[in-house]
Amino acid sequence: MDITKVPNERKLELCRTYFRAGFAFLPFAWAINVVWFFNEAFNKPPYEEQKQIRRYVLFSALGAAVWLVVLIAWITIFQTYRAQWGEVADRMSFIIPLGKP
Amino acid sequence: MSVLFGIIFMLLVQSSIAERTRDKMYQAITGASCFRRLNATHQTGCSSPFSGSVGVLHLISTAVDIDFLVNKPPAPPYAPVIPPHLFTRDNILRIKNDAAKYVSAIILINKIDKLIDFSHELKCPNPFSGLISEQTCDPSKQETTWNPYGTGLLHEDFPFPIYYVADNKEIQKIIDCFEKFNNFDVKNQKHRSLCSIQVNSFMSAAVNSEVCIRRTGVFNNLTPTKFCDPLQGRNIYTTLFPRPIVDPVNRVVDESEKIILVSARLDTTSFFDGIGLGAMDSLVSFATLISVAHLLATLIPDRNAGQKNVLFMLFNGESYDYIGSQRFVYDLQKKDFPTKSTSTNILTLENIEFMIDIGPLDDLNNLKIYYAKEFPYEKSFKSAIDEYNAKFTLGLNITEQQSLNLPPTSAQSFLRENISFPVVIVTSNSPKNKFYHSIYDDGTNIGFKYQNTSQDFTKLDTFGAESPFEANSTQIKIRNTATGLAFALYYLVTREVYQKDQIASSVLIDEFLYCFLESADCPLFKAASPPNSLPGLSGPPLRYISVAGGSQEAAGWTLRLLGYLVGSKVQNAVKKNCTEPPLHWIAGFNGTGECRLTKSNYSSAYSPAFSIEGYDWQSGKYSTWTESTWFPMSARIFLQPSKTHEASIRRVVWNLPFKFTHNNASSLLKLAKKTVTKKMKGRRFKIYQLKTNKSTTLIFFNTL
Repeated sequence: MDITKVPNERKLELCRTYFRAGFAFLPFAWAINVVWFFNEAFNKPPYEEQKQIRRYVLFSALGAAVWLVVLIAWITIFQTYRAQWGEVADRMSFIIPLGKP
Repeated sequence: MSVLFGIIFMLLVQSSIAERTRDKMYQAITGASCFRRLNATHQTGCSSPFSGSVGVLHLISTAVDIDFLVNKPPAPPYAPVIPPHLFTRDNILRIKNDAAKYVSAIILINKIDKLIDFSHELKCPNPFSGLISEQTCDPSKQETTWNPYGTGLLHEDFPFPIYYVADNKEIQKIIDCFEKFNNFDVKNQKHRSLCSIQVNSFMSAAVNSEVCIRRTGVFNNLTPTKFCDPLQGRNIYTTLFPRPIVDPVNRVVDESEKIILVSARLDTTSFFDGIGLGAMDSLVSFATLISVAHLLATLIPDRNAGQKNVLFMLFNGESYDYIGSQRFVYDLQKKDFPTKSTSTNILTLENIEFMIDIGPLDDLNNLKIYYAKEFPYEKSFKSAIDEYNAKFTLGLNITEQQSLNLPPTSAQSFLRENISFPVVIVTSNSPKNKFYHSIYDDGTNIGFKYQNTSQDFTKLDTFGAESPFEANSTQIKIRNTATGLAFALYYLVTREVYQKDQIASSVLIDEFLYCFLESADCPLFKAASPPNSLPGLSGPPLRYISVAGGSQEAAGWTLRLLGYLVGSKVQNAVKKNCTEPPLHWIAGFNGTGECRLTKSNYSSAYSPAFSIEGYDWQSGKYSTWTESTWFPMSARIFLQPSKTHEASIRRVVWNLPFKFTHNNASSLLKLAKKTVTKKMKGRRFKIYQLKTNKSTTLIFFNTL
């Protein structure tokens, strides 16, 4: 969808929907929201809904960033200690690598 | 029609071209790979990475050649090609520890001209399953060990594959390729194409049995993965006399039923998948047991009142911490032997009055009877053998020894439960096998030459009669040992002295060894099978215990053999009345068919460790050996482009969007004149102008 051809109310509605959807453990929805509406929020001449859009974009960015940090931390910890944790880690794993501790 | 042919023709041409391109690049090398086994604490054996190991072939002719691999070789990784006499603990561990960075595989070739010994089992086999606290077998004291030539490499873990090439043509392919491309100007190897080998033998399991069994049992996704399988197989047993049939639901332990247990080992093992005949390490004692059973069954066809029964048993998986005998003892303790389907009474350890365990018979003339604690039977057993040894001039030299350092045989499983268990181990005076548990423990190792006498192998030899075999042949030596043991048993069973002159059949031993050493398509197996059944495979049956779903062919043939050789012949029976087990209609020596009342059956050789709920893996109580699952194993040689060439190809791929790369542009660049360095799309380019008569070309060279 070309966001530039959409009326401003619709933009806000979309941005809000994506922001809310992100709470369903969908950090990608936040990330998409940020990319999609970044120009609308910061690089466009001001219009009525822009302030709200900007807020949604900012919080989406914040949410996505927190997710990113948490995921990276968890993946690093899990990959580092998987072998050490033994059975617990095996039960957590969806796919256990072949031929490795 | 012609169009159709045209299409088919084109398809054929296309497929054959595709075939040829691959064949031009690679030549398959047939061989056998080392693989991964695991126990409660370790992983042993070898594995390649998932996509296989590639290494430059390098022939090792002397121990000094290994220096080359250790001291920063020019074009790593290498795949040293090693003859067996250099496949020693020192050399292999040196490669593993000091050259692991530069070595991606080891190729063992079958060049045996300098080979003296080759055994990769431990010096004290099965060290943790015997009388642990009392075992005095010490690897550092040669005279106390049971496998003095052992290197223990079978119990090491290798980060690279080890591949054995047996066939001379395949070895020649490897050596020719090495000589043609690799074996000159070695220092500059990295600047040219080199003959290399790729070995695929990726193993799924890792760490130890506990981990791989647990992971196999974890179902987190839709496609469960199997990491490893417990080693398991079947023991085979037969009784000398049929045991009374009872109602399967009312089976009891009859304490008055006393039996004599005679056991030997069914299985063997080696470093490489599917190879290893175990001629001396276990087949000779196996043959002895078969001979003893056959002789006794022929001499005592019917049981008189008061005579003891004899249980002949071949234990499977004994090479791996006594799997078969541990399970048997466990079954006896749990009152699970024999199985319900046999409709016979339950046996316990107390029913076994005396056990004779036939250990390795490396030297068939000089025997030693080992026992842990003195008991009455032992003395009468020894004196009975001595007596018949003299009577039939068997040429046996028998000594006895009370010791807690006992040979690594099935008896250990009984003694660790009860040190006073009445068992003797009959074994050779001292271990002499230079190829214990190895690919070279074959017919040559026991000096076996098949005589193919075509005589009736069910007929016993007559003492003093002319024989088709030489007096010091393996067949005669096994016959004499078996005769001595059998008549000692004869005395223990009948309490009578044998007066006639029949002794064990040497022809039977000849045929037996032929079946198990050369070909399963043999007269003895044919005779023991139903008439017109499928013949055995042309190779000898695999005696490695293997895993569930393995062929279990050795166990299958042994069951038939015991049914035939120990089962009693039902006279004047016809086929249609001989279908209900324990009656079996089999071919017999002349192939016409005969009815045998068999007394043989299987019992489980599956370690209790895997069936006990919540078994403590660290307890060391039972065998925990498993075998990793693997992807198809293969090896192929090919010409690997030089390291410098490979590097330039990498650059081509990297610079693909641009027209020229440094290497192939360099000649042009010499002619061209550098004009300018310019930034374009964020990357810097040197722009050269090449002028020829007809045109001017601008060459963009990416400088990164």
